[in-house]
Amino acid sequence: MSQGSIILKLISLPISIILICLGVMTILGGHITPGGGFQGGAMIASGIILSVLVYGIGNSPLELSHLYIEVLESVGALGFVIFGLIGLFVGGFYLYNVGTDLLNVVPQAIQTVFHYPDVTNAGIIPYLNIFVGLKVFAGLSAIAIAFAGFKKYVEEGE
Amino acid sequence: MLSLGPIIFGLILGIIIGSQIKLNNNDTHFTLGAFVIVLIAGLIVAWQSGNYPFYTDLPISTAFLSALIGIFVGKLIFARSK
Repeated sequence: MSQGSIILKLISLPISIILICLGVMTILGGHITPGGGFQGGAMIASGIILSVLVYGIGNSPLELSHLYIEVLESVGALGFVIFGLIGLFVGGFYLYNVGTDLLNVVPQAIQTVFHYPDVTNAGIIPYLNIFVGLKVFAGLSAIAIAFAGFKKYVEEGE
Repeated sequence: MLSLGPIIFGLILGIIIGSQIKLNNNDTHFTLGAFVIVLIAGLIVAWQSGNYPFYTDLPISTAFLSALIGIFVGKLIFARSK
């Protein structure tokens, strides 16, 4: 299925790695800059998709297994829900920002645990960005890998 | 003050993704030198990004650099051949 030339194959993996790093940077700057979990996750998935398209589904150096995608997708969804429930039980509202605590209803110890370690006092927003990023990255990569697999299956059947 | 958040979580995300890089099954041979070049290119990108999420602790993007290091660490430690 691989249709890439040797030049394309030489340059695709380094570009994929740089794209993935840019995606992580977008996710981790999501609370104070444009971007966030969805955008960063889509950028990471674009690195995976580039690798799968150039090298082919069986030969790609960045090919995700079924179990890996399943675990990442589940961790992303579960993490988001768990953070929402923590806000519900501790602060009284679903997805209440227990790390920032604008209403002063959360004990100091819990607030310290959920405080993101930087200077912006963003609370749980960066953690939610990370979970959304993991979920989007796994979901979009799964779509592209599934399409590549279908194409390979059809080509082998002909 | 050094912001630890992007460094810690960049490393974690990089290790998670870098653990899936497997190099022994394609027809293009990437050696250690290729990864050194990628690291240098990544350093240049991180430098040109500036202190990206507007932290003023370091003049480079710490999230980008820690993700790059995390990918290499994850590849070296966790990536297994197919």
